[in-house]
Amino acid sequence: MTDVKSDKTASGWSRRDVLKGASVGAVGAATPMFFTKNAWAEEAIGNYPVKGSEVVFGFNVPQTGAYADEGADELRAYKLAVKHLNGGGGMLDTLKPSKLTGNGVLGKKVTYVTGDTQTNADASRTSARRMIERDKVIMVTGGSSSGIAIAQQYLCHELGIIFMCGLTHSNDTTGKDKRRYGFRHFFNAHMTGKALAPVLSNEYGSDRRAFHLTADYNWGHTQQQSMQQFTEAEGWSTAGNILTPLKTTDFSQYLAQVMNSDADVLVLNHYGANMVNSLTNAVNFGMRDMQKNGKNLEIVVPLYSRLMAAGAGSANIDGVLGTSGWNWSLQDDGSKAFVDSFVAEYGFPPSQAAHTCYVQTLLYANACEMAGTFYPPAVIKALEDFEFTGAGNGSTLYRGADHQCIKSMLVMQGNSPSARTSDFDYLKVVQEVDRETANYDPSIFPGELGPYKPA
Amino acid sequence: MFDLSINAFFMQLLTGLQIGSIYVLIALGLTLIFGTLGVVNFAHGALYLVAIYLAVSISDAFGFGLALVLVPAILFVLGLAMERGLIQYFYNRPHTDQILVTFGLAIVIQELLKWIFGANNVPFAIPQWGNGIIMMHEWFPFLEGFVVYPKWRMILVVVSIVTVAAVFALLHLTTFGLVIRAGMRDPEMLKFLGVNINRRFMIVFGLGAMIAGIAGVFGGPVTQVSPEVGMHLLVPSFLVVVIGGMGSLGGAVLAGILIGMAQSFTAHDINLSTIIVYLITVIVLLVRPRGLLGAKGVFE
Repeated sequence: MTDVKSDKTASGWSRRDVLKGASVGAVGAATPMFFTKNAWAEEAIGNYPVKGSEVVFGFNVPQTGAYADEGADELRAYKLAVKHLNGGGGMLDTLKPSKLTGNGVLGKKVTYVTGDTQTNADASRTSARRMIERDKVIMVTGGSSSGIAIAQQYLCHELGIIFMCGLTHSNDTTGKDKRRYGFRHFFNAHMTGKALAPVLSNEYGSDRRAFHLTADYNWGHTQQQSMQQFTEAEGWSTAGNILTPLKTTDFSQYLAQVMNSDADVLVLNHYGANMVNSLTNAVNFGMRDMQKNGKNLEIVVPLYSRLMAAGAGSANIDGVLGTSGWNWSLQDDGSKAFVDSFVAEYGFPPSQAAHTCYVQTLLYANACEMAGTFYPPAVIKALEDFEFTGAGNGSTLYRGADHQCIKSMLVMQGNSPSARTSDFDYLKVVQEVDRETANYDPSIFPGELGPYKPA
Repeated sequence: MFDLSINAFFMQLLTGLQIGSIYVLIALGLTLIFGTLGVVNFAHGALYLVAIYLAVSISDAFGFGLALVLVPAILFVLGLAMERGLIQYFYNRPHTDQILVTFGLAIVIQELLKWIFGANNVPFAIPQWGNGIIMMHEWFPFLEGFVVYPKWRMILVVVSIVTVAAVFALLHLTTFGLVIRAGMRDPEMLKFLGVNINRRFMIVFGLGAMIAGIAGVFGGPVTQVSPEVGMHLLVPSFLVVVIGGMGSLGGAVLAGILIGMAQSFTAHDINLSTIIVYLITVIVLLVRPRGLLGAKGVFE
């Protein structure tokens, strides 16, 4: 017998032995994770973990309101993306690098719910919240306006749901309002100004005076600022800028101001029905046949879409310059795969809005496959600084610093009625602006992405 | 940016006149219907919407001439059908009920047209004879240099003047008009005298819709053809009726031109141009609660 205190148990294990063993066991169990890329302590965030054999995506697009036609095309693209994710085809054959197999995402079949943003920020938030809370979507995507995209981006970041922006062109989306949970594939107003101004200077000369009519909301303001910045860098001066209410249909009172000025270029920072109406009004006022300062008065539409061009009519857009993110006439493998499958499904080619929405859905799904999980912080990591090709804009970078896709873009010009060969070629590609030219330093815009895990 | 040169002033004056012309044409129908039937017809903007879609469809298919003849006629029949099928059941109901039912009808019509024609703009080509610009400096020697204005917008102003004159003539130079004006003052007395005032009021509703048809044919290329147009025009047109005086045709004309001018001369400043219509409404109603030319005894 001895008085030495022993902490050994009857089984021969001391408490210290148990602690040592447990520590070694824990370290051993965790060891593979230390050396695994994107390994995270995966607690519940948003609607993660995904339960069951299906994963739900939320497609929140304008089904009513001014951008309903664009929303309808976006929805077509989303449905096609789901079809391809579950059954293969389309850009799944061209996107590189890709882990998509055409057998769902991470072994789960992709399903979807749709919402109506009504082209209204409040309605879009309500609809997104419903999809997140009631339908348990893992990702929300859509929108056809920057105000709406930004509103949804903030909400999704707060709720831990990744938001893949649809058509949004404001600098603020990936500038001062950028969010860790928001990603934009579409190009932006700054890139438009940077790409378009040299073409305008080359076409119309460097001694020009511009008057801007600008839609009075987030996108219009940033579009005007960027166009002014880059045209002035080319030697142009700015005669004035009038903000026009978004719901204006008759622009005569604004055009009268432009005609009274000494401007020889009219820049219409309008989109959708706004642009259609302002351009048509300007043509009615004879502005396309007018001369100012001894030069032809020119009209510029910085952001073009085929649907807008169709609304304005070929005669009105003939020769008018602008920019687009993508066009169905591109001949790269990715564009052809998407256009062929879209035409086979719906009987007509897709719009640029449809293209960006389709690609966004595939990129999200691919990021989940690459991360090996739906855990949002891991998926975000997989998307950040992801380099890919085969999606229609050449080599593309999903820049980690601001979640803006850096890729090539297009300078477009309206086709004359006689030059059109189909009901869809309202616009022709004048110049494909490469990725390096479109690129810019993300730090020129303020804003913070915020944390990977929502507070 | 506010330019007060003679050219700028003249251009803004013309613009105010043509903006006002659209308001007058729509407000004319509204005030006729309100003045005779006492119905607050929030579907009047939708009637204008139907008119512009009909006008662009008929014009594209058969030419503008046929649209000019058919659209007002179709709108007249549509107005009669609307009055018989719906509005007559709300004559003795509160104004809130009338607003709710006509506003609902307007939304149904708007969404129906969007479903048929899409949400995007439908291009409305101006007929060849209306295309082009008028060299204003050739007509008005006091203008300095080169001043032009679209011919179509000037035609719209003329159409508006002719329509107003026709409605005035109808109401003031015909027996039909005499009965209508008497009915606006005292419908009970007319019934005692054996006049079927309801039948005439039904025709007035049709006339109001027909004026919306005329407005649609000539205004479509100016306001553009998209589903939102009706609602955009409805609120300022109602304010025109209120500012001018409920049921007063002269008031509607005066107020329409006033609002058009106010919007034109404040276009350079979005803050001012957004509130100017409401500012004028408040001031007019404070100074003259019946509106500019509102008659005592009508709807009081």
